[in-house]
Amino acid sequence: MALLELDGVNTYYGRSHILFDVSLSVAKGEVVALLGRNGAGKSTTFRSVIGLTAPRSGEVRFKGEKVNGLRAFRICRRGIGFVPEDRRCFPDLTVRENLEVATRREKQAENPWTVDRVYALFPRLQERERNLGSQLSGGEQQMLTIARTLMTNPELLLLDEPSEGLAPLVVALLAEMILQIRKEGVTVLLAEQNLHFCAKVADRGYVIDKGSVKYEGTMKDLLADDEVKEKYLAV
Amino acid sequence: MMATIDVSFLTVQVLSALRQAAFLFLISSGLTLIFGVLNILNFAHGALYMLGAYFIYALTLHLTGPAGFVVALLAAPLGVALIAAVIETGLLRRIYVQEEIYQLLLTYALVLIIDDLAKIVFGPEYKSIPKPDAISGAVTIFGGTVPVYTLLVLVLAPAIALVLWYLLYRTRTGKIVRATSSDREMADALGINMSALFTLVFAFGAILAGFGGALAGPARTVFPGVGTEVIIESFVVVVIGGLGNLWGALIGSLLIGTLETVGIIVFPEFEMSLIYLLMVAILVVRPWGLFGRPLKIKALSEKNLGMEAQEISPVHFSVNPLVRVIPVLLLLAVPLVTGRFYQYLLTQIFIASLVAVAFNLLLGTTGLLSFGQAAFYGVGAYTVGLLATKAGVSTLPALLLAPVFAAAVAALIGFFCVRLSGVHFAMLTLAFGQLVFTIAFKWYGFTGGDNGIQGIPVRPLPGGVEIGSTQAMYYFALAVVGVSVEILRRIRSSPFGSTLKAIRENTQRAAYLGVNVKLYQWAAFVIAGAFTGLAGGLYALMEKSITPDIIHWTKSGEPVFMTIIGGIYTFAGPMVGAVVFTVLNSYLVAWTEKWALVLGIILLVMVLLLPGGVVGFVNEKARAAFGKRGWVRRWTFSKSAAS
Ligand SMILES: Nc1ncnc2c1ncn2[C@@H]1O[C@H](COP(=O)(O)OP(=O)(O)OP(=O)(O)O)[C@@H](O)[C@H]1O
Ligand SMILES: [Mg+2]
Repeated sequence: MALLELDGVNTYYGRSHILFDVSLSVAKGEVVALLGRNGAGKSTTFRSVIGLTAPRSGEVRFKGEKVNGLRAFRICRRGIGFVPEDRRCFPDLTVRENLEVATRREKQAENPWTVDRVYALFPRLQERERNLGSQLSGGEQQMLTIARTLMTNPELLLLDEPSEGLAPLVVALLAEMILQIRKEGVTVLLAEQNLHFCAKVADRGYVIDKGSVKYEGTMKDLLADDEVKEKYLAV
Repeated sequence: MMATIDVSFLTVQVLSALRQAAFLFLISSGLTLIFGVLNILNFAHGALYMLGAYFIYALTLHLTGPAGFVVALLAAPLGVALIAAVIETGLLRRIYVQEEIYQLLLTYALVLIIDDLAKIVFGPEYKSIPKPDAISGAVTIFGGTVPVYTLLVLVLAPAIALVLWYLLYRTRTGKIVRATSSDREMADALGINMSALFTLVFAFGAILAGFGGALAGPARTVFPGVGTEVIIESFVVVVIGGLGNLWGALIGSLLIGTLETVGIIVFPEFEMSLIYLLMVAILVVRPWGLFGRPLKIKALSEKNLGMEAQEISPVHFSVNPLVRVIPVLLLLAVPLVTGRFYQYLLTQIFIASLVAVAFNLLLGTTGLLSFGQAAFYGVGAYTVGLLATKAGVSTLPALLLAPVFAAAVAALIGFFCVRLSGVHFAMLTLAFGQLVFTIAFKWYGFTGGDNGIQGIPVRPLPGGVEIGSTQAMYYFALAVVGVSVEILRRIRSSPFGSTLKAIRENTQRAAYLGVNVKLYQWAAFVIAGAFTGLAGGLYALMEKSITPDIIHWTKSGEPVFMTIIGGIYTFAGPMVGAVVFTVLNSYLVAWTEKWALVLGIILLVMVLLLPGGVVGFVNEKARAAFGKRGWVRRWTFSKSAAS
C-alpha cells in the first residue's frame, strides 16, 4: 500500500483554480521527485497535502486514511512533515529553540528524533546553536528547516525546492543529507526545478505543469525523455 | 535648602512617572502579545482592564484586610481571563478566517457591550477601591511624600515583567508563542494547535489587562468607560514600540509614562496632545514603531482553523437611474406631510449618510479602515463654527470652506497614514483623530475648549434664501448631501474608483501593474476627508452649536458601524446603515439608557452572521428571486449582476 496517495485533487486559491485532478502516490521508503517550472503547482500540491490550503475535491490519503479536511497540525501529527520553500525558520528564535518548538512529546515514535540526533546529521547547526534564525546563511537556514521538521518525527517528508538559491557545493551536501535521511527510514517527496539534483536523490519522478500531472516514471526514463524535459522543464 | 526641595520634587515625579509606566506596561504588554499571536488588535482590552478594576472593587466589598486584598488582587485577573476565554472561544474564533477588520470590529462591539453591562451591574458613578491600612499610608523618600501603594506597584509590575520574560524565553510554550508571532502558518504545519494557543494567549493577555486594572483601580478610580481612555493610551504605547513587540511595549510605556508626568508639569493644557505628537514624530521616522518590522501578513488559510471563509461577494450591479430618483422625490415631499421632528431626524440621517458613504470610499472601495473620521467631521464643523462666529463669514462660503480645510488636514494626516496598512493604518488614523480632539478640547482661547461654540448664526444664502428654519435646513441638507453622494457614486464607478477597488482586492498585484498604490490611497483619503468635513459643516449649521465630543474617537466608530450594518460592498449600504443607526440612536436614547449595549449587540450579530450587511443580504436575495424575471431586472437594475 502506498504511504501517500493523491486522488483527483483540485485546489483553489479563492476563485482561481490551481490544481486539476492531481493524482500521485509515494510508497514507503521511496524518494520521489515532483518536477515542474515556476508556478506549475508544486507548492500548491504540498500545501494541499499538509492542509494549509485544503483541496476542494479529491482525496489525500496517508497510510490509507483520508487526511484532507483535517487541520494542518493534525496532519503533521499523523506523520507528514512539511519543509516549505523560502526556508521559513523562526527568525527571532535561536537554532536550538527552533528545534525545541517542533519537538512533539505526545507522539511515540520508535526511534524519535532528538536535538542530538539532528545535530549529528547537521553538525553545522550545533556550531550555531545559539545564533538566531535570522543570523544564519541560506544553506544553514535550509538545514535548520529540515532539521526542525524532522523533530516532529515524520514518516513522510515534503521538501519544497530545497536546492533553490544555494551554491553548488551546498547543494551537493544537501543531496548527501537527503540520502542519509532516507536511510534513517524517512520517505521523501521532493519538489524541484533542478533535474540534476533530483537525478542524484530520487527513484521516481512526476512532472507537473499548469496544475496537472503530465508525466510519471522512473528518474532514469525521465532523464532519457528529451521531449518531456524540453516541453515541461526548462532544460 | 533649594537642593533638598528639588530632590524631593524630583523623587515624587520620577516615582509617579514610573508608576504610570507600570500601569501602561501591564495593559499594553497583553495587548501586544495578543496582537503578535492572534493578529488581532483587541479594542476590548481596555474593557478587560476595567473589568479587572470592577472585580477587585466587588471582591474587596467582601474580602477585607491585607489577606483579603491579596486574594482579591489575584482573583480579579483570573475572573477577567475566564471571560476572555469565553469571548475567544465563543466569538472571535468564528471569524478568524474573515478579513482582519472584522476581528477589530468584533472587539469594538465588545467594548460597547461590556461598558454598558458594567454600567448596569455597577452603576454609572465613579467607584473608589479601599486599600488595607498597611498599604494606604505614605512614606518620605528624599524629602518627598510617596504613597506606599506606589511603591507596591513599582515592585509588582517589574516582577510581572520578569515572570513574563521567563515564560516567553524559558518555557516551551513561550517559545511557541514567539515562533507563532513570527510565522503562524509554519507553527501550524509543525503540529502546534493554533486554536488552543490562541485561547491561551488571549486569556493570558487578559490576565495582564485584568491585573493592570486590579492594581490601578485602588490608585485611580473606576467607572464605566474608563476602558476607552485606557485603551487609547495603550494603543499609543504599542504603536510607538512596534505592534507585537514586548520590548517595544516596555520602552513605549516608559516613554509615555514620563511624557505624561512631564507634560502635566510643563504643559498642563496640552499634556494629552503631547503623547500623540510623540507618536506621530516616531512614526514619521519609523513607520512600524521603534522595535517593529513591516508585517508580512500571513493570513490563516481556509480550513486552517477548520472552517471555510464566508465569501462576501462584492455586488457589481447598479440601480437603474430612474429607480434612483424615486427616493429623492419622496424625500422632497416629506416636509409636506410631516412635522419638525421628522424633518430634523431626516436631516440628521442625511448628514450621517454623507459621513458613511465618504467613509466607505475608504473601507469598502479602497480597503482602508479609518478610525479617525471624526477628526475631519470636527474640522468641518469647527471651520463653519469659527468662521461664522469669529470672522462673520456668511454661511455658504463658510460651508464651502469646511471641505477645503478638512481636505487639507486629511492630506497631511493621510500622508503619514497611507504608508501603513491594515491595523497599523487604523491605529494611526485613530491617534491623529485623538490629536485633533485634544487640541479642540483644550484650546480654550481658539476653539472654546470643552464648552465648544454656541450660537452659530445661519445667514441667508446668496439671493436671500433663508435656511434657518428646520424645513429650509432640511431641503438645504438634502441638496448638499444629494449632490455630494452623487459625486461620490461617480467617483466610485469611475476608472479612478476601479483602481481603488483593484487595490483593495489585491494590493500587491495592483502595485505590480504599475499603480502608485500610496498615491491612490492618499487621494481617496483626502476625498473622504473633504466630504466628511462638508458633513461636519452641515452639522454645525443644523445644530447651531458644537462641542469637541463630535471629534472623540468613539464618534469615529459611528460610520464604521453604519457601513457594516448596511453592507460594505454596496454603494447604498452605508446610507441604509445611517438610517438604522440614526433612528436607533434617537429612539433608543429616549427609550433606554442602554443603547450602546443594543448597538454593540447588533454590531456583533452583523459581524458574525451577516458580514455583507443588510443591503448585501437583500441584494443577494433579490437577485435570486427576481433574476429569472427579466422585466423586473430590466426596470430595477441598469446592469444585471456581473461576475
Ligand atoms: N496565495 C496565492 N493566491 C493566488 N494564487 C496563487 C497563490 N500562490 C500561488 N498562486 C498561483 O498558483 C500557481 C501555482 O503556484 P505554486 O506556488 O504552487 O507553484 P510552484 O510550482 O511551487 O512554483 P515555484 O517553483 O515558483 O515555487 C501559480 O500560478 C501561482 O501564481
Ligand atoms: Mg513553489
